[in-house]
Amino acid sequence: MSSFDICPAFARILQNREVSPPLAAILALTELIRHEDAGTMFELVQAVEEGAAALKKHASNPISVDAGCSLFIAFVTLFPHDSANFSDLKKELIRQGQVYAAEALAYRQKIAELAFGFIKDGSILTHSYSRVVMQALLLAHKRKRISVFVTEARPRGLGIKTAEALTAAGVPATVILDSAVAYVMDKVDFVLVGSEAVVESGGLVNAVGSNQIAIIARAANKPFYALAESYKFHRLFPLSQYDLPSHNSKILSFPRPLLADRRPPNQSSSSTESTAPTSDQPDLIPPRITQEQISQNNPDVDYTRPDLITLVFSDVGSLTPEGVSQYLVGMFAG
Amino acid sequence: MPVPTIADPPQPASAKPQGQPSQKSMTKAERRELQERQRAAKAALKGQPQQQGKKDPSQGKQQPSVGGTPGAQTKTKPPPTPQKKAFGGDIQGARQASASKDTGTGVIAEDAMAKQVSHGLRIFSHFGQPKPVSHTVKGDIHPEIIRLALLFSEFKISGANARCIAMLTAFKQVIQDYTTPSHNTLSRHLMTHLSPQITHLVSARPMSVTMGNAIRELKVEISNMDIDMVEQDAKDALCLKIDNYIRDRIIIADEVIEENAGNKIKDGDVILTYAKSSVVEKVLLAAHSERKKISVIIIDSKPLLEGKVLLKSLTSGPSPIPCTYALLPALPSLLNQVSMVLVGAHALFSNGAVYSRAGTAMVSMMAKARNVPVLVCCETYKFSDGVMVDGFSKNELAPTTVIQKYTHLENLPSSIEKLNPLYDLTPPTYITAVVTEVGLIPPSSISSIPLALGKTSL
Repeated sequence: MSSFDICPAFARILQNREVSPPLAAILALTELIRHEDAGTMFELVQAVEEGAAALKKHASNPISVDAGCSLFIAFVTLFPHDSANFSDLKKELIRQGQVYAAEALAYRQKIAELAFGFIKDGSILTHSYSRVVMQALLLAHKRKRISVFVTEARPRGLGIKTAEALTAAGVPATVILDSAVAYVMDKVDFVLVGSEAVVESGGLVNAVGSNQIAIIARAANKPFYALAESYKFHRLFPLSQYDLPSHNSKILSFPRPLLADRRPPNQSSSSTESTAPTSDQPDLIPPRITQEQISQNNPDVDYTRPDLITLVFSDVGSLTPEGVSQYLVGMFAG
Repeated sequence: MPVPTIADPPQPASAKPQGQPSQKSMTKAERRELQERQRAAKAALKGQPQQQGKKDPSQGKQQPSVGGTPGAQTKTKPPPTPQKKAFGGDIQGARQASASKDTGTGVIAEDAMAKQVSHGLRIFSHFGQPKPVSHTVKGDIHPEIIRLALLFSEFKISGANARCIAMLTAFKQVIQDYTTPSHNTLSRHLMTHLSPQITHLVSARPMSVTMGNAIRELKVEISNMDIDMVEQDAKDALCLKIDNYIRDRIIIADEVIEENAGNKIKDGDVILTYAKSSVVEKVLLAAHSERKKISVIIIDSKPLLEGKVLLKSLTSGPSPIPCTYALLPALPSLLNQVSMVLVGAHALFSNGAVYSRAGTAMVSMMAKARNVPVLVCCETYKFSDGVMVDGFSKNELAPTTVIQKYTHLENLPSSIEKLNPLYDLTPPTYITAVVTEVGLIPPSSISSIPLALGKTSL
């Protein structure tokens, strides 16, 4: 086994702002193959799988990284390896991986063009920040008169980044609160979101808040479009929000009751850890909850059910959610 | 082995020992011996009760009226009047017949009754009445198949998987006992030998989708057999193919489904299931043996009450799974604590509809209304390339004998028609995912599975 560490490589590739996490994962895995001195296919696949596991453990958004990794692993295992020389095969794998990544960068343009046909003069609601949505909006701005509402997207506040970029490009854009989505919904023509991953049910995993936007859009009978490059298609079938791999016991957990120290002193000693201000005047001073504490307790991504999604635009075409799942079944089940 | 004896004069064909080469290939001495034996058998029959004479014409007419059946006359006290329309009387007679321990006669009387009732069912007459296996064996039926047909018709073997495995295992025996007649080849002739066996099985109980798929596969394998192969080798090869089919499409598939469904079961989950499915049972037991803290709610319903069997298997053993057993009416009040519904299937149609034990549709519909995910465990060999939109166009009725075994429908007025469909159809909208050996699949994508597996037929 070589001493190649995949995580710094991944971080380095991700510095390029055009490269999304799944692509970065694919590129990082090709680098791993280059440094790997495995002598057989079995060893190589094993090394790649170990690398993928390491990436997943360290990545901030493991679902989309996992999508890229499983795509690459499927590619490596199914690659016709009839070449006599194993190092040739490795070179070919690396080349193919890099070619794919280079091609994949052009996918966003293709998606933007697909989505362009659905954009009319009017208002669009988008959520958080997504490179592919940005590209679609900027393309639409060249030929149409659009204005954009973008949600703030707590806790990371990436919506502000979107609004700034759009305003700089001359697109009228305004940031709305996540809690004001229902208020603004009647004003917009449709909702356009990016995605972290598109899953086998045809549903969508995206920055938290997408689900509630989809629900409100459905209630207001507005179309809900998602943009996703095909490398984000992921063989995963979440049954509910809590079935996502990103869910853990910390999310939605209840903090230790702050009023615990109001108990009679003879009962327990656990109250000694509590902070001084609350023990002084437990009823008057509101518990201090920092933004950090909130975001620790909250999910980064949520799952949108397929029946709430109108269309998914991807580089393989404009697909209905059923179409997405059929594509995925065809891609991986074969 | 319950080989039919009493009701019919052994016809030459059925009297011939099974697996014996056809007359052409026998030597002269063998043929004479066979003739002698048949003659002896006929003579022995003449000595038997005198209804023999009455019996034959009734058989020739192919419409055994109740009065004409010899067993009913000899064994039951009042012979039910054959022509009377009031079938209450017939039921009475039939019940007495079945009460008398002689199954043979009971079954025949039941058969006649079933015919009468099917006239009574006004809108569901097309379901076809379950006809208990007739003991008149037509043609060259292997004893193994006769035995299996009885097990099928009495619901001793009733699950889709169990029936398919039992049928294939019996076919292995049939194939081993088969000899190709001269001037013929195995690949061309074996299927003509198997067809009457299949017909006999179907006469016992309508064919399941699983059996149909397996038979289709077997047909292809037989026709692909090399003509020049030594007969015994060809037979062994076919048996191996059958074994592989059972292993790959059912046994291993179940293990993968166990794992796939197990991944969705988490600590503290409450899993609701309906009736009994062999796959669901395995999934639950596997999850429990992985020390996941699960509890199970078994919803059950008349007439078969199959859930009791599941309850027994989940709660017996060294570490029983905490179970709740309830009937269908209790479903709404139990649903709010359920985290997942897990049901089995009889067949899956390409529009994503699940054909399963009657009552499944109701459970899934209610679960869907409460936002509880509904998972259907189903091997891909249960897929049917047809489309079904409701459970009325095709169904199967549970035979009265079976119903009576589980529920006591005594004292019902004779004017009441009994309708016990065995299956219903769950529309795809009520199903969250189908757990197959190729992964979890939304019902809307079921149609793309055969293509993805690179098959033109299932």
